Amino acid sequence: MRKVKQVLWLSVFALWLPAALAHHSLSGQFDTTQSFEIKGVVSRVDWVNPHTYVYVDVKQKDGTPLTYKLESLPVAMMRKAGLSKQELVGDGKPVVIQAYPARNGTPTLGYLLHLSLADGREIQFSRVPGAEQP
Amino acid sequence: MKPNYLAGAGLLCVAVLAMSAQPSMPRLADGKPDLNGTWENGGGIDFLRPQTKADGSVCVTGCAPAAPAAPAAPAAAAAPARPAAAPPPPDRPRYRPEFEARVADLKRRQQKEDGVLRCQPPGVPRIGPPDKIVQTAREVVFLYEDVSGPFFRIVPLRQGVKRADDSESYLGDATGHWEGDTLVVVTRNFNELTWLTDDGAFHSGKLVVTERLTRRGDEIEYRATADDPGVLAEPWQIRPRRMVRTDVEMAEPAPCVEQDLSNMVDDTYHSNPR
Repeated sequence: MRKVKQVLWLSVFALWLPAALAHHSLSGQFDTTQSFEIKGVVSRVDWVNPHTYVYVDVKQKDGTPLTYKLESLPVAMMRKAGLSKQELVGDGKPVVIQAYPARNGTPTLGYLLHLSLADGREIQFSRVPGAEQP
Repeated sequence: MKPNYLAGAGLLCVAVLAMSAQPSMPRLADGKPDLNGTWENGGGIDFLRPQTKADGSVCVTGCAPAAPAAPAAPAAAAAPARPAAAPPPPDRPRYRPEFEARVADLKRRQQKEDGVLRCQPPGVPRIGPPDKIVQTAREVVFLYEDVSGPFFRIVPLRQGVKRADDSESYLGDATGHWEGDTLVVVTRNFNELTWLTDDGAFHSGKLVVTERLTRRGDEIEYRATADDPGVLAEPWQIRPRRMVRTDVEMAEPAPCVEQDLSNMVDDTYHSNPR
């Protein structure tokens, strides 16, 4: 299920920070005023620069998986926060994810903002529009 | 005689106290300052302040501000007044007037023109201070974990070293020497495919970059000056960096695999000098 939250909220901080170390604008790829939520299983992590990518398989009504491709922070920022590829790959249990939607119209493309793990832990990569600060 | 004796002893005490206040200076067998080690180099993501909670949750960016630290106890004695610090150097090089339009054009089109966005080496001084230094009496090796990929620079401490290829290159040909306790690295023979910093700051093949590394205790002060007289109005000093020694060893740098640009729907960019 994809749930889009319409939020009239724009943060200069959010525009700037996640793309640190590169300098194309995040808002050139994603609608940073909105976020969507999916529940699925992390099926792959590209541990690469300039940005990591997390792939999440979401089960459709007919039982087939639909794979979302989510851009995220550079490896150096992940490492500084103590995060590893293994941490993001997880244990195959369902996770809940918030992400910015892509501006190019690709429904399965997004920018990873927040990850809720099955064991209750949460990882905030960037602030979710309209969400309380943790 | 006795008063003079006491005065001399007092001076000796002052000198010893002054020396003990200086950070220690580890040295190699040849007497040169020891720059070996892994260093948090104050560039790129120095601003990042991740937070980890007791339950293992992590906040990387956009976190609530951490609780302010308790105010420091007042000093026992007032410190002597310091002269005002010199203003920081500009964070952008200044170009000769005939090149300002070219810089502005490259800045506007940087999403297409900046090689760093396509995993090309960033050049010098844009690459910033090294993440790790390996030093011998004959050479110094700089290792980098950069967002564009892993890079190294070999800095011979003697002239006339023959390289396998003398073509101009992204990171140039470096040679080092010591000026007192400061390692001075002079680099030439650059190609023209890199920028000095973001936003169209191009240079010519006549660029000369001088880096100065001075160890103070567990820190290295890193300064760099780019000089390209045919292009720049004046030599450009980058923002000085403070490299802090760390016991956390470098991991294998992640490869750079560009996947973002094809998803861009416009040419927007933001400045992000390292």
